Amino acid sequence: MGEQLRPDEAARALAEIGQRQEQVIRLMRMPVWFWWVTAALMVGLTAAVESRRPIVVGIGVAVFVVGLVTMVLRIVLGSIRHAKPRNDLVPPAGVMAILGFVAVVLAVTLPAGFALKATGVSYPATLSMLLAAALLVGGGPLLTRYLHRVMRANVTGGL
Amino acid sequence: MIKPKFDELIHAPTRLSIVSLLAATEWADFAFIRDSVDLSDSALSKQLTILEEAGYVEIRKGFVGKRPRTSARLNSVGRAAFEQHVAALQEIVARAGASVLPG
Repeated sequence: MGEQLRPDEAARALAEIGQRQEQVIRLMRMPVWFWWVTAALMVGLTAAVESRRPIVVGIGVAVFVVGLVTMVLRIVLGSIRHAKPRNDLVPPAGVMAILGFVAVVLAVTLPAGFALKATGVSYPATLSMLLAAALLVGGGPLLTRYLHRVMRANVTGGL
Repeated sequence: MIKPKFDELIHAPTRLSIVSLLAATEWADFAFIRDSVDLSDSALSKQLTILEEAGYVEIRKGFVGKRPRTSARLNSVGRAAFEQHVAALQEIVARAGASVLPG
């Protein structure tokens, strides 16, 4: 039958395959709120630690840990309850993009923190963390979109 | 290099949808497949049994708490057959040129 299949039928079958695989890729998509919550948790923790008041530090650490664990569980359990996407769906280019994003955030935030501290402003780490938060909120969704694109290209020869 | 090989069993519309979904996963829950492909429980069971008998799919039955849970995964034979089928479809389209690609 393969030989008798019309090209438009084959193209439709390929489109169907692409559409079904897109459904799985969507399970791995990081929601936009993930970046906002991560940014808020990081800024909150840093501000709490920088306050140097034990009770505030304690609350800050507790909120950070509970917030992070809840968020990760919600995302991970929410997707693997339905299906576990293939481990190799994220190609090396995607892994490099994630590492590159982390490197950029650190490369901007750390020098900014040290520079702010050198100028003597109060809460330098919190201020630099605000910068990191802005990078996460602005760049995170872009990273998500890029990962989505490379995963689509990676799955079954980029249908 | 994947050798193109058209697979009649996979190409049936419903099974093509199921196998495509499974090809992107390590495993998938029965309910997820049913809802994604829009099939009834019995229709999905029937198709999964056909794929299992062909040696393409493994079906696991277990429990989450007290609730029964069924999941399916495409094994290496099924994955290879699917990749060869995709290559065969791509070859048919390539022979005809890009004009047949759906917009």
